[in-house]
Amino acid sequence: MNGEIELKVENLKKWFPVRRGIVSTLLSRKTDYVRAVDDISFEVRKGEIFGLAGESGCGKTTAGKTVLRLLEPTSGKIYFEGRDITALNKLEMKELRRRMQIVYQDPYQSLNPRMTVFDIIAEPIQVHKMSDSLAETEDIVHKALEEVELIPGEDFVYRFPHELSGGQRQRVAVARTLVLQPSFIVADEPISMLDVSIRAGILKVMLKTRLAQDVTYIFITHDLAYARHICHRGAIMYSGKIVEMTSMDHLVKHPLHPYTIALMKAVPVPDPEYEKARAVIGGEVPTPINPPPGCRFHPRCSKASDICRKEEPELTEVGNEHFVACHHAL
Amino acid sequence: MTILEVQDLKTYYSTLMGDVKAVDDVRLRMDKGEALGLVGESGCGKTTLALAIMRLLPWNGRIAGGKIMLNDIDIVGLDDKTFDKEYRWKKMSYVFQGAMNALNPVFKVGAQIAEAITIHEDVENPEAMERARELFRLVGIDPERTTSFPHELSGGMKQRAMIAMALACNPDFIIADEPTTALDVIVQAQTLEVMRELQKKLGLTTMIITHDLSVVAQTCSTCAIMYAGNLVEYADINTIFSEPAHPYTKALIGAFPSIKEDRRELVSIAGVPPNLLHPPTGCRFNPRCPNRMDICSKEKPDYLELEDGHNAACHLLTKEG
Repeated sequence: MNGEIELKVENLKKWFPVRRGIVSTLLSRKTDYVRAVDDISFEVRKGEIFGLAGESGCGKTTAGKTVLRLLEPTSGKIYFEGRDITALNKLEMKELRRRMQIVYQDPYQSLNPRMTVFDIIAEPIQVHKMSDSLAETEDIVHKALEEVELIPGEDFVYRFPHELSGGQRQRVAVARTLVLQPSFIVADEPISMLDVSIRAGILKVMLKTRLAQDVTYIFITHDLAYARHICHRGAIMYSGKIVEMTSMDHLVKHPLHPYTIALMKAVPVPDPEYEKARAVIGGEVPTPINPPPGCRFHPRCSKASDICRKEEPELTEVGNEHFVACHHAL
Repeated sequence: MTILEVQDLKTYYSTLMGDVKAVDDVRLRMDKGEALGLVGESGCGKTTLALAIMRLLPWNGRIAGGKIMLNDIDIVGLDDKTFDKEYRWKKMSYVFQGAMNALNPVFKVGAQIAEAITIHEDVENPEAMERARELFRLVGIDPERTTSFPHELSGGMKQRAMIAMALACNPDFIIADEPTTALDVIVQAQTLEVMRELQKKLGLTTMIITHDLSVVAQTCSTCAIMYAGNLVEYADINTIFSEPAHPYTKALIGAFPSIKEDRRELVSIAGVPPNLLHPPTGCRFNPRCPNRMDICSKEKPDYLELEDGHNAACHLLTKEG
């Protein structure tokens, strides 16, 4: 890792219109939007694992997909290696896609059940014309299988996804991503569907390439314990916004935002002698349709005051690359 | 006082390819007031064990041997009618996995709880509804919400409603199957708090089935580790975490990250859980075990009592002892 910036996101928004019936359309009432991602900015450095964490519905997956332009951003800029990719056309984008990849959460849905492991891994190679002959493709596929520790590769190439276990499927999904030798990967909860005992193995094959090829990761997760052990820096999202962002170590030890503090207290610790996890805040994540004015967390926050109900706090640096969006964080 | 005793229980599923031995020779004893965490990977038989205890096995499942003693009565031998009327829901009940889908979407939640009460007890509907409201209060939901439909409740509230339903007929013993798996971390903490409170307030005996060791550490007093249909270790919760005896227990704890420890490399367990149609001979964990010896693939280790209340099944323990 050197300080070089691989990905820079500026004021990114992704709003989804809420579909309405014909009557309200004719009466031209205002369209509602689900503000899945609402004005977030962050940077990811080269070779870094950047965690995007939060509860379900906070917009972390939408953010991850929008960054890759798998979803078109509503507004905002995305710079990949210094180039604004929101301005690129389809052809230019395809060129770039080889280098920007995603690993999906659910290996039971992300693999085509009618394709063999060989076809699944060979498809991206063909799409991006990375091999000249079948023999070369075969060679690349076998190497990829070896890399994700599906050994011996010959045993796996002619299998269909239903003949694989969950862990093996996710390895195939990782192999499919790695054959393109991407420099940037969004990993969307890659281990949350898998058994605890095999999660570490999947992470290992995913992340070992990071060192060899200097791959940059955005690791999307709801599990803060895993984020702590994997990510270098991380951002906590709440209702479409980043509420706090700093190094993962610092985030766990010295959280400042009331929401982050509540999250940290709620994470159960696998040690019976440790203080029990407590829910210091009530309620659940609100719907991101017409979020409350001011700070979005204020209805659940114990520190909420007048200013929180009126003014939306900016994400500001409070020292040493620690960013917080809270009127009362200091 | 022993409330539940499972003796050499075998539960098999018949398939076209033969019997799947989902639970094989499980021995387990639970005292009154105990909170047992039943831990294992998916497919290790933990849900099957619980369904067998509740006698809710699917059509192709059967209890192929052993006894399940509830308050010294073998419930395996009871006829269906007695069991339905006097045991299930009255003496023991079940919080089903996936609260999101376990409630009937076309009935109000209060009515669903009242139904359980009127079926098992000789009470009229208004009284049952009042009980439902009380139960909601008990699990920390506004009693007014008994008139809501499931889709009007959030995930955490549905989970609590499921717990309320399990408590409907004042059982002594409840089994909760993955009670927090689909919940977000803050809602999970809320639910765990409710569970802990109920254990204390009502003196409930609970069995919590989970793959999440941190949930067990937070809510249970004892812990049983299952692997491939066998119980491999049982001890009180502190012993399991501080002095695990079985290599599988050790590996499982090593694979589990804690937010409180410093960044470290997580270790996974090599290989995959075995196919229970043809489980490995000897110790079922032997193909994945880091401490494997010759004897492990030949002989099945005995489930030994190491010291008071700490049992494990591993050849390493007999060799050293």
